[in-house]
Amino acid sequence: MSLRLKLLLLGLLTLVLPWAGCRYAREMESALREGEQTSLQSVAETLATSLEGRLDLLYRAPQGGDSQDAAALLESGPYDLKPVALTAAPLVDGYSEDWPRDAAAWAWYEKDAAHRFGVLTGVYERVLYLLLEVRDEHPVFDAAGASPLDARATGDRVWLGFQDPQGGERQVFLAATGPGAITARYIESGEYGQQLAQLEPRIRGVWQLSPGGYRLELRVPLSMLGAGFGVLIDDRDVRGGAPLSYGSLHPDDLRTLGHLIVAAPELTGYLAQFSQPGLKLAVATPGGQVLARVDELKRVAELAPAPPLIARLYRRFVDQPGAQPPIEARVSVYDREHRTVIGTLEVTQTPDRWLRLRDRALTRMLNFTLATSIVVVLAMFAFAVWLALRLSRLRQASESALTRAGLIASFPDTEARDELGDVARSFSRLLGRLNEYTGYLRTLAGKLAHEIRTPLTIVRSSLENLEAEQVPSSARAYLERARQGSERLNAILLAMGAATRVEEAIGGAERSRFDLVPLIESAVAAYRGAFTERRFAAELPPGPVMMDGAPDLIVQMLDKLIDNAVDFSPVGSSITVRLRLAAPEAVLEVDNLGPPLPSEAGRLFESLWQSRGDGNGRPHFGLGLYIVRLIAEFHGGSASASNLPDGSGARFSIRLALPA
Amino acid sequence: MKRLIAIVEDEAAIRDNYAAAFAREGYAVRTYANRTQAMSAFAARLPDLAVIDISLEDEPEGGFELCRQLRALSPVLPIIFLTARDSELDAVSGLRLGADDFLTKDLSLAHLSARVNALFRRVDALRKPEQAGDVLRRGPLTLDTERMQAQWDGKVVLLSLTEFWIVHALARHPGHVRNRQQLMDAANVVLDDNTITSHVKRIRRKFQGADPRFDAVQTVYGMGYRWVE
Repeated sequence: MSLRLKLLLLGLLTLVLPWAGCRYAREMESALREGEQTSLQSVAETLATSLEGRLDLLYRAPQGGDSQDAAALLESGPYDLKPVALTAAPLVDGYSEDWPRDAAAWAWYEKDAAHRFGVLTGVYERVLYLLLEVRDEHPVFDAAGASPLDARATGDRVWLGFQDPQGGERQVFLAATGPGAITARYIESGEYGQQLAQLEPRIRGVWQLSPGGYRLELRVPLSMLGAGFGVLIDDRDVRGGAPLSYGSLHPDDLRTLGHLIVAAPELTGYLAQFSQPGLKLAVATPGGQVLARVDELKRVAELAPAPPLIARLYRRFVDQPGAQPPIEARVSVYDREHRTVIGTLEVTQTPDRWLRLRDRALTRMLNFTLATSIVVVLAMFAFAVWLALRLSRLRQASESALTRAGLIASFPDTEARDELGDVARSFSRLLGRLNEYTGYLRTLAGKLAHEIRTPLTIVRSSLENLEAEQVPSSARAYLERARQGSERLNAILLAMGAATRVEEAIGGAERSRFDLVPLIESAVAAYRGAFTERRFAAELPPGPVMMDGAPDLIVQMLDKLIDNAVDFSPVGSSITVRLRLAAPEAVLEVDNLGPPLPSEAGRLFESLWQSRGDGNGRPHFGLGLYIVRLIAEFHGGSASASNLPDGSGARFSIRLALPA
Repeated sequence: MKRLIAIVEDEAAIRDNYAAAFAREGYAVRTYANRTQAMSAFAARLPDLAVIDISLEDEPEGGFELCRQLRALSPVLPIIFLTARDSELDAVSGLRLGADDFLTKDLSLAHLSARVNALFRRVDALRKPEQAGDVLRRGPLTLDTERMQAQWDGKVVLLSLTEFWIVHALARHPGHVRNRQQLMDAANVVLDDNTITSHVKRIRRKFQGADPRFDAVQTVYGMGYRWVE
């Protein structure tokens, strides 16, 4: 992992700040929620107090009864109907899809297992809606075209009995000759005592057949109704048969047995005074039947401007999955004596209210912490890049400081006062010492040769003097051996000093412009004469190859290469000297058959690398190829060695810079 | 009367060996270990030939100084530098101070004797009137083998003994390539390639001093040198 990446990851740790911020926002949110809950509770209690004992405000005054008598009103009998407060007017079509699905809101009446019906009542905008679900194995319609009063033509019939606002009992019936729209009728005595079925156009509905019976959906304006209300079914199995009557009307005189417990008309208006956007107020009977509600939950947009996009983005990270539940407060409304519960008040508040408060704080905090993180990460990244740059510079400098020959190139000085600067400086010092040491090593051979020369001269001159003396012939052999030994020692000294002399020669070399081709031709011709046990081939370009340099040195370099090739190639083999142009360089190659190069071929060109003797006792100090390299470098080139492509031998390549 | 050879050399063993060798050849030999000793002796009596080491006891360049002083005393006295130092710079400095030859100590005693003899021959020849028989002429080049003196277009070119012998070996058979070994044999010296090259370079430069268009010594790459007329 690079330093850059590491520091970048370290910088990413600052993201802990926004994370902690989110945690804090959640804490804050629950505190806010608690506070909101408390205040909502107190709002609910205040409102409940204002409703205390106001039975008249909660319920329509029952017929003839004492509106203050809460107990009487609330001890509802089995025939009382408690319409639900509808949130929208149901479409009167005989289907129950648009009614609230609330099984508890149904009132059921039954004669026996086969005969029962349910009533669902609801109020919306001063209109009472009824949904009747009648179980009847044999639904029978009236005969088409007959008078509804014709007993022989009569089928199933539904009676509604109710008190009018004045307290008078009234009855209407609903009869149908087939599924479809129906209008209620009432029976009136005519001028001559005959019975007439008059239409009551205010009570209308739809009659539909349903599996196991039939269904009626009706609408009745509340303005027609007083307190009493009931439904009675005349169930006939055959047209004109005897009816089976049951329901919440007295089966004999169709008197109402129960009441319709409905909110007072003023209740909604009263609640509306307290309504606020994002708030829902609902008043229900002690049994839980909603009497009136004012719902402003959807009007949250007025609370505060819609949160900006970024806040919504943040909210996704902060909020636990799932919708925020609204907060609710439920209090009971008591009668004046504070003994009996006359209703319940439920106040609901949308969570948006405090969520938006929280969002505002959250957005600011997250913006700030994220900006901090970004700045820190960028700064760390920049720092890392800078560090990496310095490190890679240091690395490059250290890599290029030591040339392959062990020479120390310049190492850049640094002024940096930090640890990296210290490293660079100590590296520089180290290299300096190393340089001194390699310098010492490099000159060691030459110095050693010089130091040995004086004692060697003593030995040799003594031996020469000794030869002039009268030496017994038995001692001659030893004298000769000593002489040979000293000659060899002398040759070694010459070889050891050779590199130094080449360096000197290079230092004093004069450059001239010359053609490489005839020079190599002439040299190869000379090698043919000198090394008769090898064959020499020269591959030269047709035209002249002009270069600037010292021809003597080039020949000396070629001498060393040929010496090397001859040493390693078998007798009778061919040595190829090749010159080719590879602008802007000329490449001189010497190929010889023989063993492959050692694995450290790159070090072949180092001073004293290869120390071996050939069979002739000529000393080798591996200086030949070192001299080759020195001369190649003097000519702006380089020396390299490789095995021949087919592995049959070695190739030494010298690149020489050509004049521009 | 025996010719007197002075050996100035701080290494006693070498000094004595050389002295013995020269004595065997029939020369009178005086040896000195340092410059002071040598100069006080030379002030009293000049030797016929001086063999000087460059570094003398505590004077690393004492031989050069001695050579300068000696040359001031006598412009014709043969002086040979014999030293363990074989750098090009030392050779150039020594020859510039007027030494007749610059030799390294790996030279054998036999070769050294040959040189000493040759230098004495030259001294003798310079004393005698010029003899036509010992002169080699090749175009503008005149080599007086007795005096070991070279002239180019009548101008004297001062060559060291080694250089003279190299020129002589080349000019004797113009057009023939002389390889390094042949040149070394002719000059009674064992030298490596670079030293031969620098000798040839010096020869060219000296002749070019007399004639800038001098081009008679040609390099035959890989083989050696030849004299071109």
